[in-house]
Amino acid sequence: MIVPEGILCSKSHEYLLENGDSVYTVGLTDYAVEQLGDIVFVELPEVGTEYSKGEVFATVESVKAASEIYMPVGGKIVEVNEKIVETPEILNESPFEDGWLVKIESPDALAESGDLLEYSDYKEELE
Amino acid sequence: MGNKTVFYDKHLELGARMVEFGGWDMPVQYASIIEEHRTVRSSAGVFDVSHMGQIFVSGRQAVDFLQSVVPQDISKLKLLKAEYCQLTKNDGCLVDDLIIYRLLDEKFLVIANAANIQKDFNWLKDNINNFEVILENKSDEYSMLALQGQNASKIVEKLGISESEQPSFFTIKTFKLSNIEGYISRTGYTGEDGFEFIIKNEYAIELWDMIFKAGEQFGLKPIGLGARDTLRLETALMLYGNDLTEDTTPVEAGLKWSIPVDKISDYNGKDVIMNQIRNGVSKKLIGFEMTDRAIPRHEYDIYFNGHKTGVVTSGGYSPTLDKNIGMGYVETKDNITLDATIEIMVRNKLYKAKVVKRPFVAKRYKIS
Repeated sequence: MIVPEGILCSKSHEYLLENGDSVYTVGLTDYAVEQLGDIVFVELPEVGTEYSKGEVFATVESVKAASEIYMPVGGKIVEVNEKIVETPEILNESPFEDGWLVKIESPDALAESGDLLEYSDYKEELE
Repeated sequence: MGNKTVFYDKHLELGARMVEFGGWDMPVQYASIIEEHRTVRSSAGVFDVSHMGQIFVSGRQAVDFLQSVVPQDISKLKLLKAEYCQLTKNDGCLVDDLIIYRLLDEKFLVIANAANIQKDFNWLKDNINNFEVILENKSDEYSMLALQGQNASKIVEKLGISESEQPSFFTIKTFKLSNIEGYISRTGYTGEDGFEFIIKNEYAIELWDMIFKAGEQFGLKPIGLGARDTLRLETALMLYGNDLTEDTTPVEAGLKWSIPVDKISDYNGKDVIMNQIRNGVSKKLIGFEMTDRAIPRHEYDIYFNGHKTGVVTSGGYSPTLDKNIGMGYVETKDNITLDATIEIMVRNKLYKAKVVKRPFVAKRYKIS
């Protein structure tokens, strides 16, 4: 699995990846999807909805349980990954590429990402 | 940390993720719940069920004693046969659900749910009254392995117990393989044909290794509690703590089939249970499948015609059907019948479901 360069990870296991022009991809880390196990259901927000940092914006359900997913930074949903709604197992197979959750527009991302960790530090924290 | 079965290190070696269940550290999955589920439906799998309890009941009045604590007619239970039973209170509600095996004329083996072993044992003790009976909780001395799936019988044959020597459905036998001895029964909790081995702890690891060696050519795999739950839900087998509780009677739970109406002996809660069988119940268990996209889960509310009618007791994704299914109690007065539309409250929104027959997936026992 290729971990994209420059991703930032939250303690609740979401990642944030800058695309440019204040647009960011939000997804779940490889650790998160492995812990969840087989993902069988994804509920994503509507495009245009605004969320602040730490707010629940999606739900991911494995065979065992439902998990709420939190915004790593505040922002407006500009795109959702419809593919994972139809085929949730993509999340398990490819969390950083095909299995992303949403794209957000977040002008304040830099200011709000102070508590997010670089991937290597995030991995170290998990040890 | 909970109790550990003899297989604890084995589970870790196999890469299992461990969870606490009923006071025990148990494997919830080794690799993938869905794959493990499919392995059992398509071939066979092995479950460590050593967390379950073994209570032996023996003595001159063992039958009379058991007659007084379960609705089933133990006097009619034939030698080496098993029966699905319930331990009832005076209000007809359930202390636990059990499998009772008749090992000898005056000796029975009671299999209790992991979380209820001490509760059941105490309950039985408190109900001895003047019966001449000996109760022994030997749960700590015994391990238990369930081998389940359409290839289970072939694997047992390879193990050295030929098909004609294997116990038939809901029967138990003693077995001896090299130096290992114990009980083998044709029971399980998956809706598939299969066996359960009840052996002393000292034989457990060796038997595990022998079973896996015999099962190699059938792709035999260890199966965790996650798949155990999806397998039993598909075949609508009850889970105590979810579908059965101290506030539900066996009649409400749809277990009327297991209760004889002609049993003469008295037992705890008989008047309530007989009254419910004759005059009906105020709540009943139903099965449903989601028609809207949502997964029903334990304790979610069930709505009918805009009002709350009950609660989901078990629910989840069915790998066999690729649908989301569930069971729950609804009020009988709402007259909810097959094909009726109900709604499940999921994260403050209502999602439609259709009432369907249980089991959701047909059982495939080999009943000869």
